Amino acid sequence: MKTMRTPLLAGLMGSVTLAIFSACTVTGVGVDGSVGVDYGYPGAYYEPYGYDYGGWGGGYWVGPSRGGHRDDHGDGRRDAGGRDAGGRGGHAPAYRPAPRGRSAPSIPGRSRGR
Amino acid sequence: MRRFRLRDALPGIAPLLLSAVVGLSAARAADFELPALNTPPSEEHHMGKMVWADLVTPDLAAAEKFYGGLFGWTFRRIRVGNSGYAVAMIDGRPIAGLVEKPIRSGERHQPAWLTFLAAGDVEAVKRAAVAHGAKVLADCKSYPMRGRQCVLSDPQGAVFALLASSSGDTPDYLPVSGEWIWSSLHAQDAGTAAAFYQELFGYDVFDMPSEDGAEHLILSTDDYARASANSLAGGSLRRHPHWLNFVRVEHAADIAAKAVASGGRVLVEPRADRHGGMVAVIADPAGAPIGLMEWTDSDTKAEPK
Repeated sequence: MKTMRTPLLAGLMGSVTLAIFSACTVTGVGVDGSVGVDYGYPGAYYEPYGYDYGGWGGGYWVGPSRGGHRDDHGDGRRDAGGRDAGGRGGHAPAYRPAPRGRSAPSIPGRSRGR
Repeated sequence: MRRFRLRDALPGIAPLLLSAVVGLSAARAADFELPALNTPPSEEHHMGKMVWADLVTPDLAAAEKFYGGLFGWTFRRIRVGNSGYAVAMIDGRPIAGLVEKPIRSGERHQPAWLTFLAAGDVEAVKRAAVAHGAKVLADCKSYPMRGRQCVLSDPQGAVFALLASSSGDTPDYLPVSGEWIWSSLHAQDAGTAAAFYQELFGYDVFDMPSEDGAEHLILSTDDYARASANSLAGGSLRRHPHWLNFVRVEHAADIAAKAVASGGRVLVEPRADRHGGMVAVIADPAGAPIGLMEWTDSDTKAEPK
């Protein structure tokens, strides 16, 4: 009987320990370098402090085109700075440019329920 | 009277305790009930499309009030582990999550929106990302209705998440007002950043320089523009690469003014963008930046499909 209880006790202690570990929060390292509580949800990360949006001039564009503009694609055209589009300063870009002749697409235009 | 001895009682207690352990674990799993992206589920999958965003904020109630007032979002509170979590909905569809995470006094953290990009196989995309210099901030985890997701930072430091939705990706419709319409990555080197994400999602990359000559690359899949990679705007030393998500609005100036009246700030005043509509960047009361973008139904000239 005694030999049966010892593994039982060990198993019980192990289970309780496992329960405590699984039930409690654990410590993690955030992207900001801070060590703190991981709230158990992977999305709960603060970013490094301090955004500054200074410098968005009138010609600083971020959005998509309206589509259908073949000349939107930088196949051989030059940008406002006189550099070859599709490769900054005449150098091959780090990315693989979309095939020549294809125009940049826009966002989906189909409405829901249409 | 017979004395109580724990050892004698163990055989009887042990099953009960083991049941409690199992029950506790099940209860924790049940806490993670993130909603499905699509109800009913679909078979649509769009690699590299921005399909979800999570706000990390120290004050969930304040964030709900701010975004609800601005965009007409409604909220449903759920528990996610030890966090307060609210699902933001529009027209009954879940579109975003708001996660509460306290900031201890004396600490400085940046509340922000985390961008989720659709990935068919999260593990494979994560491996490719790491092989190209990304760091894993939160390893892959599965949620019963949502799918599998993880959080990474790209080689330049911009934080983003991967999501393999188990109910399909959000369908390719023109977003209604109040829905996400666009995401832009702001990087030290937009070309190198575009190359990194191209390796992950197979984007077609179109170089469309800004009017001021700044690098502006359109990232597309399925013949739809999904996002842009931009060089960080000049003029500031306190900058770091990041993703910025835009909500479709009717009048950016009106919404920006409303944001200020609700305790937010305007980071970029409304200004015309490439498509002719106005865009602006605001910060919520906790400081999280979010973009506003006007887009009329006729702004999409050609439907490529």
